Amino acid sequence: MNLEYSEQDNDFRARARAWLRDNIPQQRRPAHGEGAAQFDRDWQRRLYEGGWAGVNWPKEYGGLGLSALQQVIWYEECARAGAPNYINTTYVALMHAGPTIIACGTQEQKAFHLEKILSGENLWCQGFSEPNAGSDLASLKTSGVVDGDYLVVNGSKTWTTDGQHADFQELLIRTEPGSERHRGLTWVICDMKTPGITVTPIRTMLGDEHVNTTFYDDVKIPLTNVVGALGAGWKTAMSTLSFERGTGFIGDQLALFERVNQVIELAGRTRLEDGSLAIEDSGIAGRIAQIKADTMAIRAMTFAQIAEIESSGGPGPKGSIMKLLVTGTAKSLYHLVAEILGWEFMEFNGDRNDNLWSYEYLWSWVSTIAGGTSEIQREIIADQLLELPRAR
Amino acid sequence: MFLALDSHEQEIANAAADFLGNEYPLQRLHPQPRDAHDLAPFCELGWLGLAAPEEAGGSDLSQVEEMLFFLEHGRVAGPMDVYAQVLGVAVAAADGALCASLVAGEASVALVVEQREGAVRIVGNAAAQYAVEVTPSHAALYAFDGSGCDEVLCLDRSVAMSIGAPGCLQEVLRLEGDSVWRKAQIDLCAMMVGVAESALAMIVAYAKERETFGRAIGAYQAVRHPCSDMAVRNEAARSQLFYAATALREGHADAAMQVDAAALLAQRAAIMNVDTNIQLHGGIGVTDEHDAHLLLKRANLLSRLAGSAKRLRATLLDVASSGDCDPT
Repeated sequence: MNLEYSEQDNDFRARARAWLRDNIPQQRRPAHGEGAAQFDRDWQRRLYEGGWAGVNWPKEYGGLGLSALQQVIWYEECARAGAPNYINTTYVALMHAGPTIIACGTQEQKAFHLEKILSGENLWCQGFSEPNAGSDLASLKTSGVVDGDYLVVNGSKTWTTDGQHADFQELLIRTEPGSERHRGLTWVICDMKTPGITVTPIRTMLGDEHVNTTFYDDVKIPLTNVVGALGAGWKTAMSTLSFERGTGFIGDQLALFERVNQVIELAGRTRLEDGSLAIEDSGIAGRIAQIKADTMAIRAMTFAQIAEIESSGGPGPKGSIMKLLVTGTAKSLYHLVAEILGWEFMEFNGDRNDNLWSYEYLWSWVSTIAGGTSEIQREIIADQLLELPRAR
Repeated sequence: MFLALDSHEQEIANAAADFLGNEYPLQRLHPQPRDAHDLAPFCELGWLGLAAPEEAGGSDLSQVEEMLFFLEHGRVAGPMDVYAQVLGVAVAAADGALCASLVAGEASVALVVEQREGAVRIVGNAAAQYAVEVTPSHAALYAFDGSGCDEVLCLDRSVAMSIGAPGCLQEVLRLEGDSVWRKAQIDLCAMMVGVAESALAMIVAYAKERETFGRAIGAYQAVRHPCSDMAVRNEAARSQLFYAATALREGHADAAMQVDAAALLAQRAAIMNVDTNIQLHGGIGVTDEHDAHLLLKRANLLSRLAGSAKRLRATLLDVASSGDCDPT
């Protein structure tokens, strides 16, 4: 074991730090809407033109071809510099669609899509969950029927994050009539401008409309848009999800550490109703310390996971442990802040820039539910890591 | 940056697991609840001097290798005399002859766990020639005369506990500062992680074979989900332990905070996992014949030694001194 960075790592960090210092946007990102999407596209284009897009994407696909550790260093420097959060409207394109096309796509798909993803030209959304298929994803029913060179798609998808801004969608549909569970599914690239698609916003408890329900009425998608084989969509989809559960949240884990230190400072200057400082309350102090210890462990787990990827080639089921701990720790932190802040916490105009803590408090449930609920993560750990008997 | 065992470290971990698993399985504590004060098997294989200088008969390895040994030690709730002896070796490191005699087990060391209100509380061999005390402010090695000490039964029956007058200790060596304390914390964290992992392994094995309402209890989410939570606590505690031990070896500026974080997480993993293990076992889990209570009692002993929550959180809440991600 060692915690020493190589000369190349330190050199990379220095270059990243210098570039970020000169290139961080001066204006604030709008909270939501088309303005937010444009801000994200602009920032991604700047990264692309500066030579910083796709740090760990292979060079042949336009990335920098660097190691997972250097990807972490990049996120560390972004967090330090206060760069725009990479979990934005470009996330599905860069973290899901791109890696999936690299792993399972055809030469034509790679040539057409990957550069447009890296440059921020095309935004993507996800089309996996359905109104009646959430945690039990394999029960999905949206159908695709082969008709000549096309698939004709009917049905609906939900929780389509940023669907109103997306150019393309990664769509998981049932293409073998009568098939069950994860057999007979297909992962297909859907152009969001295709006739027959309706995107209807869902207003969340945060007051914004970042998620949607998407309806498909005889939507014609060329068969050349299938990624992986027709009927092998589950395998393609799992390559995407394991990627997200493995390394997709590394940047959040690091940003959480900075956030915890902010809360310690907040508790050191915020007075409770009896006039004492919040940090002097042993209950509050004990909870912050535990949260900070967990946050440090998340960082250590990130490095342990990188070592594991280096040794074995994949993140394995430990990604579920990571997601449980990251989202659970963040939730504990924001619930604690809600107690420390008093009435200030109740001031909420819906803009993350103005009411950070109240916004993050509400968002904490999105984190523990989206991308596989905490309960589903526990099932995955029980099945794959502990190998307990299954009831399902 | 490589936060996983390299092949040399893996060899040490495997050797420790083989030795302790074969010679000191947890089940040893059923026929004979108290471990004998016998360091010879550990001396023969060099386990007491892993981090001791070569001229004292040690292997001149680091905190990391010692941590790997204690991780396996914790798994079987191994003899606690070994821990006291290793601390004695650390305090005596600069005194070649004394250190050598401790590494060789020619003189033995008990553990001073508390000095207050005119009384000294000792855990370990009351016939030991030395006693070691390790605190955040200093570490001391005493010449020890336990003849006047009164034995008190310990909740963890595998160890001897006694109370004596301050006169039973005569200071021989004293080191100011927290260097031995941090090392001791790492060893304790390693043992706690071992206990916590042992508890998870125990309930997972039982959940696969024990049936209720016609199926294995491991198929019920009421059992599966608490087991998954145990695994999360273990993963966090183990990763932080590895990070902290390595940071300590490399002398990082934030090493003290890393170690205190490791202690908080190891305490939580040990105390909560031994609890869940007993609860999910049901009735058999509270019987004397079962292994579960041995882990519960050991977890309480170790957690007490690793520092109170109030002490541990001090470094974590000191934002000014906490290092950040910057390696330069």
